[in-house]
Amino acid sequence: MCKRRPDVSLIAMTNTEVVTVRGLRKLYGGRPVVDGVDLDVHEGEVVGLIGANGAGKTTTVECIQGLRRPDAGALRVLGLDPATEAERLRPLIGSQLQESALPDRLRVAEAVELFSPRGARDGDRLLEQFGLVERRRSAFASLSGGERQRLFLVLALLGRPRLVILDELTQGLDPGARRNVLEAVAQLRNDGTTVLLVTHELGDAEALCDRVVAMRAGRILDSGSPAELVDRHSRRATIEFGFPDSASLALLEELRGVVGVDEVEHAARRVTVRGDRRAIAHVGAVLVRAGSVPADLGVQIPSLEDALLGLLEAAEANGHAGANGHAGANGHAATNGAAGTHNHYLTGALG
Amino acid sequence: MITSFGRLLRAELKLMLRDPLVLTFVFVFPVLTMLIIGGSFGTKPDPGFANINPAHWYVASYLTVVIGATGLIMLPVHLASYRERGVLRRFAAAGFPRWSFSLAQLVVGLVAIAAASAVELGVAAPVYGIPALHESWRVVSGLLLGSVAFVSIGVLLGTLLPSARAAQAVGLILFFPSFLLGGAGPPPRGMGAAMREIASFLPLTQVTDSIRDPWLGLGTATGSLIAVALLAAAATLLAARRAAL
Repeated sequence: MCKRRPDVSLIAMTNTEVVTVRGLRKLYGGRPVVDGVDLDVHEGEVVGLIGANGAGKTTTVECIQGLRRPDAGALRVLGLDPATEAERLRPLIGSQLQESALPDRLRVAEAVELFSPRGARDGDRLLEQFGLVERRRSAFASLSGGERQRLFLVLALLGRPRLVILDELTQGLDPGARRNVLEAVAQLRNDGTTVLLVTHELGDAEALCDRVVAMRAGRILDSGSPAELVDRHSRRATIEFGFPDSASLALLEELRGVVGVDEVEHAARRVTVRGDRRAIAHVGAVLVRAGSVPADLGVQIPSLEDALLGLLEAAEANGHAGANGHAGANGHAATNGAAGTHNHYLTGALG
Repeated sequence: MITSFGRLLRAELKLMLRDPLVLTFVFVFPVLTMLIIGGSFGTKPDPGFANINPAHWYVASYLTVVIGATGLIMLPVHLASYRERGVLRRFAAAGFPRWSFSLAQLVVGLVAIAAASAVELGVAAPVYGIPALHESWRVVSGLLLGSVAFVSIGVLLGTLLPSARAAQAVGLILFFPSFLLGGAGPPPRGMGAAMREIASFLPLTQVTDSIRDPWLGLGTATGSLIAVALLAAAATLLAARRAAL
């Protein structure tokens, strides 16, 4: 078990890099929960760490914040080493932590005062911006789940942070509260704030992130924009419709030749077409041209959730090495490296 | 750093006054029990109370009840609750130095003891009268060192106990024997030999002796004062080490 940490001065950071992690490893009771993670976050990016519970996402960001000391690996956050310079680093980061709270009887305005460092942003303006100004005198315990999360966002932003870390921001919120919180994060993105978002709510990640990093069992499986991950790992788009009585079987042959279509099935008077997203428009065009527009046409578009499930299933089927092999077999090692994140295990295996 | 500590201290002082556990155990309970037991044995000097007015005996003894309640109940429950609910992680993530929260609790504990003691004496004065101080510097020394010792024990327990419920259970188990045998219950002459022996080993008994004896002119209690000073030093050192982890 290696406890030696690489010299952080060896990390080459560009001017735009806010977070650089190399070979991060963290053990709990001898069991690795983060195992060789490399990660870069650039200025102004919204990066999402996604994966099932226990993937190592929260531990990774806790090491980045200096809340946990890594067992191995090198980290540089805003030019500082979180393991040795945590007290200098933490005021530069705005954090919303998973499973944390404020004292029950602390009022909203008092919380803002407590968490306002010298030179802080105008707390009242932030409360107004996040719809909490009417709750200034309310105790923390009386706030709803959504109000608490919005208050945590306000507190995270008070110190004009250069990096905002949000861990399971929408967990346990009702749909209305979730939408309010997501709008608040979208506002951060529009303001150019660098955000590292930890979530297993993949709809959140798909809606907000420029780039997502998929983790499983402490390792990175793949990374890229949500669209890239969907393209690489999800099932194809599926178009289904009842076969029109007036149509001839030649229509099926024509559909098989359409751009982007991989497969056409015809069974029990229903047609199922599978292919990439381009196929949706082309199939529609063929049906219109043939004058056979079905009334029951349905389309399933793959989501980031489909992509992650595909990625996890592939990793599960192949074991840990298979997970990395999966990424490598698709040539994603180079892609990931170019995107700023790559699988350390894979790099090691290839190197 | 002083700024963040100042903000934390101000918030914690406000929260202390809103905490029903603090108001009950640190402010109301000692005053109420002092009034009851102080009135139970009359006001005539009694051989069982070293020929002292029993009401005055208890007025001089009950400051340590405040000290015990603060150190054994208020602080451990408060700290363990904060850690259990992730409040301490939130403070740490926001850049509050590790030491600042424990130091704020130390100050809050001392302020609570000072305020509750003033309330207790304020209530006792018109009812039983305040006994004259024979050796005020020793009384003040015992009060200060005893407060530091128990506040540090409270911080230490708060860092060790895993949850607020555990802290409450352990705190009550430690507090009530200390309360009954360490000054607020029967006087040593009214106890059996075994109970008197057990009581003599309790930290709160040492604090009570170091305050009550020089206050009422029963002796200097130098040995107790030294024991309390050693306890204060050891508890502060251990609490500081735990708080720095």
